[in-house]
Amino acid sequence: MNDTIDGEVARYATAVRAAFADLPGPERELLLEDLEDHLQEVAAEAGGPLTERLGRPEAYAAELRASAGLPAPAGTAGRRRGRPRLRGSRVARRLAGLRAAALGHPAGRAVAQFLPELRPAWWVLRGYLAVQAAAVAMTPLFAGGGLSFPLPELFGSQLLGLLAVVAAVVGSVALGRRGAASPWARWLVVTGNAVLAVVAVAIIAELGSSEAYDDYRPGYVTAYSLPADGLRADGKEISNIFPFDADGKPLQDVYLIDQDGDPVVATHHDNELLEPQVPMDRNGAEVPNRYPQAQQQLDQATGLRYPGPTPEFRPPPGPVRSP
Amino acid sequence: MDTTQLLKGVLDLAVLAVVSERDGYGYDVVRRLRAAGLDDVGDASVYGTLRRLYSGGHLTSYVVPSEEGPHRKYYAVNDAGRALLDASTGTWRSFTDAMDKLLGAQGEEAS
Repeated sequence: MNDTIDGEVARYATAVRAAFADLPGPERELLLEDLEDHLQEVAAEAGGPLTERLGRPEAYAAELRASAGLPAPAGTAGRRRGRPRLRGSRVARRLAGLRAAALGHPAGRAVAQFLPELRPAWWVLRGYLAVQAAAVAMTPLFAGGGLSFPLPELFGSQLLGLLAVVAAVVGSVALGRRGAASPWARWLVVTGNAVLAVVAVAIIAELGSSEAYDDYRPGYVTAYSLPADGLRADGKEISNIFPFDADGKPLQDVYLIDQDGDPVVATHHDNELLEPQVPMDRNGAEVPNRYPQAQQQLDQATGLRYPGPTPEFRPPPGPVRSP
Repeated sequence: MDTTQLLKGVLDLAVLAVVSERDGYGYDVVRRLRAAGLDDVGDASVYGTLRRLYSGGHLTSYVVPSEEGPHRKYYAVNDAGRALLDASTGTWRSFTDAMDKLLGAQGEEAS
């Protein structure tokens, strides 16, 4: 019985989702995130098939679209802006899951809504990066060598570099506004963007280490900073501690102190996948060095937290004696 | 008269009224609208309206985990939503007053 309901819900949901294939992923996810839950509830409650109660999936989709204030789908199903390459692959599904988790949080939604506004800035930067990439690629052929910043040097001339940047920015913005004509062109643009993003990172890294940059800001050194508190071992941050006794029995409510008698406090960050819950005393004050601490595991698909696992204890192979 | 046409114009107001009375998730709002007498209200219309009011900044939302069954996304009216509800209520009242007068003037005693 349940199987048939699940199957019916899945079929109906798939048909509704198909009608929104033209929407960008985040928008679609927001609109349809509780579609299955809704269908489940209707199916569980009402007798008779879903189509009897809700109408055909296409009609449901059209009604949802209209009431959500979205424009009617552009063109027919055949003219969808498709991403056939990735759709349905495991990578795409995982990305969709992450995206859904990010969008489940108000901050994630705020970022998602804001990101498109950065597009024009990227188009300008992309043009500049393209010329820098070309300049650096040609560097071994010409004397001078190295990265020329801020203006790239083409054939040994910064003026040529400037002209090339202007031309490239104009071209890049035009491409951005027009959009890619075919899936193939789209793939090309996406790949190019990725390459140029790598170039941007390389330029930043180069600037950080180059002497030319240090000339501008003498004596300025960015030190890699370690967090002021926290606990680490073997280069790994320790967020929780699970003590076991000699018989391998897990110990509860153990206080840890260091050589000076100070509490040993693990490193805590917000929004970790595995987040320990710091215990509190009767007055609500944190008791950060009491272990083990209950772990909350983040489910990335839903953005909800569940009790996390206790790590397994591997006893030493032989008997142990204190020295 | 076809009430679905009428509903289209006032669904925002109806949804805001229901949610301002008590926070609710999508299907809960559908049920309460129907219980209030709006039998023809469509599930998808209510969901779409909730989404639009939410992205328009008139509703906030939060997820309530449940032991059995799905985690539900509840909607609540914020200050902007209340302001919209008040303004729309005013518009609705003056509209219905005008309609009542119009219909009354044509000889039908309002019952």
